[in-house]
Amino acid sequence: MKNAGRREPNVIPGFGITLGFTTFFLSAIVLIPLAALVLKAAGMDWSRFIDVISSPRALASYRLSFGASLIAAGMNMVFGFALAWTLVRYDFPGRKFVDAIIDMPFALPTAVSGIALATVFAGNGWIGQHLEPLGIKVAYTWIGITVALTLIGMPFVVRTVQPALQEVQRDLEDAAETLGAGRFYVFRRIIVPTVLPALLTGFTLAFARAVGEYGSVIFIAGNLPMETEITPYLIVIKLEEFDYAGAAALGCMMLAISFVMLLAINLLQVWGRKRMMVSR
Amino acid sequence: MSIALDQVTKRYQDQPVVNDVSIEVGEGEFFVLLGPSGSGKSTLLRAIAGLTGIDHGRISLHGRDVTHVRARDRGVGLVFQNYALFRHMTVADNIEFALRVRRMKSAERRARRTELLKLVALEGMDERLPGQLSGGQQQRVAVARALAHKPQVLLLDEPFGALDAKIREELRRTIRSVQRELGITTVLVTHDQEEAFALADTIGVMNHGRLLEVGNPNDLYAQPATRFVATFLGAANLLLARQSADGIRFGATPVNAERAEPVPAGREHEVVAVLRPEEVEIVAAREQLSSNYLARGAVEEIVFTGALERLRIRLLDEPCAAQLLGPSGNGDARLEVTRTQHERRALPLQPGAQIAVGTRRLHILPTPISSFLACAPTEAEAVALAHEPLLESLSTRMKTRVGLRAIDGLVGTPEPFAGVAAIASGSTAANTVEWLLRHGASEVLVLPHNAPSPTRVFIHWTDEPARRATLAVSASLLRHVAAEAVYLGIVPEGPAGMGRAAPMRALLDARSEAQHDHNLEMRTELAIGETVTELTRNLSAGAAQMLVLGITDITQAASAYRSLLAAQPGWPMLIVYRPQEVGARAAPDVAA
Repeated sequence: MKNAGRREPNVIPGFGITLGFTTFFLSAIVLIPLAALVLKAAGMDWSRFIDVISSPRALASYRLSFGASLIAAGMNMVFGFALAWTLVRYDFPGRKFVDAIIDMPFALPTAVSGIALATVFAGNGWIGQHLEPLGIKVAYTWIGITVALTLIGMPFVVRTVQPALQEVQRDLEDAAETLGAGRFYVFRRIIVPTVLPALLTGFTLAFARAVGEYGSVIFIAGNLPMETEITPYLIVIKLEEFDYAGAAALGCMMLAISFVMLLAINLLQVWGRKRMMVSR
Repeated sequence: MSIALDQVTKRYQDQPVVNDVSIEVGEGEFFVLLGPSGSGKSTLLRAIAGLTGIDHGRISLHGRDVTHVRARDRGVGLVFQNYALFRHMTVADNIEFALRVRRMKSAERRARRTELLKLVALEGMDERLPGQLSGGQQQRVAVARALAHKPQVLLLDEPFGALDAKIREELRRTIRSVQRELGITTVLVTHDQEEAFALADTIGVMNHGRLLEVGNPNDLYAQPATRFVATFLGAANLLLARQSADGIRFGATPVNAERAEPVPAGREHEVVAVLRPEEVEIVAAREQLSSNYLARGAVEEIVFTGALERLRIRLLDEPCAAQLLGPSGNGDARLEVTRTQHERRALPLQPGAQIAVGTRRLHILPTPISSFLACAPTEAEAVALAHEPLLESLSTRMKTRVGLRAIDGLVGTPEPFAGVAAIASGSTAANTVEWLLRHGASEVLVLPHNAPSPTRVFIHWTDEPARRATLAVSASLLRHVAAEAVYLGIVPEGPAGMGRAAPMRALLDARSEAQHDHNLEMRTELAIGETVTELTRNLSAGAAQMLVLGITDITQAASAYRSLLAAQPGWPMLIVYRPQEVGARAAPDVAA
């Protein structure tokens, strides 16, 4: 029989083509370059690999890279939420304008934002000159790095939370209010849990973007070894020294840490979504 | 009183969506607010819950004025059309929400929850998430949640809207039994009259932000006071009949029905009769009728609906045929009839069959505005007048027709005028009004060209005997216009302190009569000065104003109000004329 092995026709045709394309696309753009990276690192012998990835300078850079990224993503979660809230809930003159500005960090070359930040936050910059007397140094410290990472991650949070907030029915808040809940209680127990999945997605995206960020950070970081040197910068240094294997090893390490963290956040989200949206 | 609303008004962008509504709901009463969408019923419910502020009036719950109390402190339970359950919480957490807010101990919470789940027949569903329940179950949870904190008042906003027919009926029964068991005062909002009948102790019907009528379902169905309630609560055929001093007739056929308002000898008044589809009798020949003969008819359409057979019947043009008002007021309306299977078997019918139609029970609406008659010098001008936006919107809203009449030259003896005569405003308007009133018209509507729908209607009468009719006409008009009613009392200038008490008393009497007899909430204002000057000043004070003017003496009024009628562009004016002697005779009747 000719048709014996055929699959049931799907409602949406073209499964074969789309799966093939997905595999090809993922391979060409993501998997093969990453595999090359791992292969390159695998070329080293084990003890040298360990030496490279666990050198004090590398360890300090991980701490800075991931620490600053986490703080930045965390800040974005709070302030990005506030921004999204303002945009969704209130109608004020210039709302459309603010809405458009949110996307600017997406479009701006990161080096430009880095230089702009460095100028503004430097000891003699517009903002820096007022912070300096207070003993707060922003440019060329980890604070500056965090500021840069916050800037470039902000649109991710706003743009993921915005649609979720739009969907929170006013009825839910009204119901909670008639049941006796105060504003803050409603916010904490109703609104936040409802938009939490979106908030986590935004956090993840902002975090992932921050970990990989290079352009904007190097201009404001100062790049002092052990102090303000992020891992991507360390990799570039290795490359400039023609230590390709060392660069690959650090790259692998970043990849591994990022993967573990993203996976953890994703699992958390799946769990949360299961709790919340079991069939509507 | 469990819930008392006093003249509650809510405006959105200056348009009143809830207009002067006063309601009293007794302890343990199930009150249903019924109205089409956009009638303001949901806004009113939200106002009771405290989720919407009001612009005017007072709301009290169990004697406590809560007008300015926040929703969370009002002690009400609210159930929404779309359930509004917290989807990230289990059924248990949803129900316990109000108790958690109040920091109740966990054991007490659990006990209360179990009790509530039993009440709504959802035992054992505690740990489910709302997403795992059917629509009907979710709404049960919502009811249980709304009752958790033992509210004094339960409010339900179209709670069955999102459910299919069978579940709807089941849930309806649950809510009724829960309400009876707890004896909780309940207000339910719906647009479904069947639902209202099934649940209500008392129904309040709303339209255009106004509360039109309140009463028990039976009375409202059998004796509606307004056209809107007659047609919104169940199906109704509206027929035009003539009332004179010796009774009510369809053409030449006398009708076995009565109306409270008498008509003076020698004058005729057009009235609206309500004929329910099930009160129509159909027989093969007139002699077989056991009820009052109405007309001959031809069957146009037959629809089988299970228990009942639905017929549409065209009344054949006989001299005595009644005038039938269609849904849009046009003349080609059909009589809606329902027959039981028993009646159907007695006389099987096919489309095209000729039959005789009788009326078992007729109800005459007290409304004084039956239909409109556009009067102009020529037929063409009358057609143009009939298409004036204000007249068109009034007749559509009142579901009545606009007839045409050419009255060139104002000479001769015209046929009697039926309904409200409408004329264009202008320099000759005063003469036309006088002529119409002298030849049998009782109400004349004077329309400026392209007048907008009024937002404020001033009511004034020249002397007390005109009060009763003027109020009735005003109430009838205001039921169909989203406008504010203001009674303007005018006292001539004179020595202060002297003779002011009487006008003040008249003012208050007018207000209470409007509210009591017509359910019309009316503001009152007292002006001092010359009547026409004061009327003009008030009418000019804002855009889209209108005047209802009651008079008892044509000659005197024609000269006094000539300038007001001649004003350009002028205002829509509805002149209500009742001859003096009837007013004098009607007054003792009221007292009795």
